[in-house]
Amino acid sequence: MFGYRISWSQLAWLGHRLSGIGILVYLFMHIVENATLAFGPDVYDLTQTFFRNLPVRLGEIVLMAALVYHSLNGLRVIAMDFWPATTVWYRPLTYAVIIGTVAAMIPLGLIMITPYAPWNGS
Amino acid sequence: MAIGRRIWPVEGDPLRRNPSRAAQPRPSEPGFERWMWYFTRISGLALVILAMGHMLIMHVLVQLTGQEINFAFVTSRWGSPFWRIYDLLLLVLALAHGVNGARIIIGDYIERGGLRSLLVGILLAITFIWLLMGIFVILTFDPATAPAVGPFS
Repeated sequence: MFGYRISWSQLAWLGHRLSGIGILVYLFMHIVENATLAFGPDVYDLTQTFFRNLPVRLGEIVLMAALVYHSLNGLRVIAMDFWPATTVWYRPLTYAVIIGTVAAMIPLGLIMITPYAPWNGS
Repeated sequence: MAIGRRIWPVEGDPLRRNPSRAAQPRPSEPGFERWMWYFTRISGLALVILAMGHMLIMHVLVQLTGQEINFAFVTSRWGSPFWRIYDLLLLVLALAHGVNGARIIIGDYIERGGLRSLLVGILLAITFIWLLMGIFVILTFDPATAPAVGPFS
């Protein structure tokens, strides 16, 4: 796929960029969805029913994962920008960001999927 | 393992330097780009709290306490000025942070010129409309004057 060996910093950078674009696109849709509040409870409550199903919930879990990764990786970038000595630890810090994201998403993903999970009979 | 070896930023080696302006060291000359460099980092710190807090409340706390998001939920939340200001701050900071990032991504892939200006112009125009729409919804939300019955009933 790549004509050269891809480094962790490039992968972390690509992940930051993709998660950022994903969250921004979601934000634009979220503003439109919230605008239905102006049309009163009937319209808003009907709109909300479109979001109560497994595919949407899986998308929300991906959104949560993108936000957790973008937050943790952003904190790493800020640390390296304002405290250049930490760039020596860029590789362990990058691993920590990835492990932290996965570790956070295990409980968060389980909580979020529970009401729509196939194993809960819905 | 590369612990102990300084890997990034790499001075003077364009092949190993991170290609993005967003991830580069602080712009050396003062001006707009340097201001946005600081804004991205400072708003980023605020957004870790604001955005994560918002997601944890709306997708985890609501779930764990057996509530659901509907008009009544929004009414009780936005009944408090604290949450209205919180959401307003989240809207403005997230949109500015994200759109500035998108502007930099456009700049990374499209050479300086008419196409770049056109795309950034469209992005900013759309953002302005969406920002006004978002602010309008948060500030004017009032269950007392909202139409009780919608067109779909």
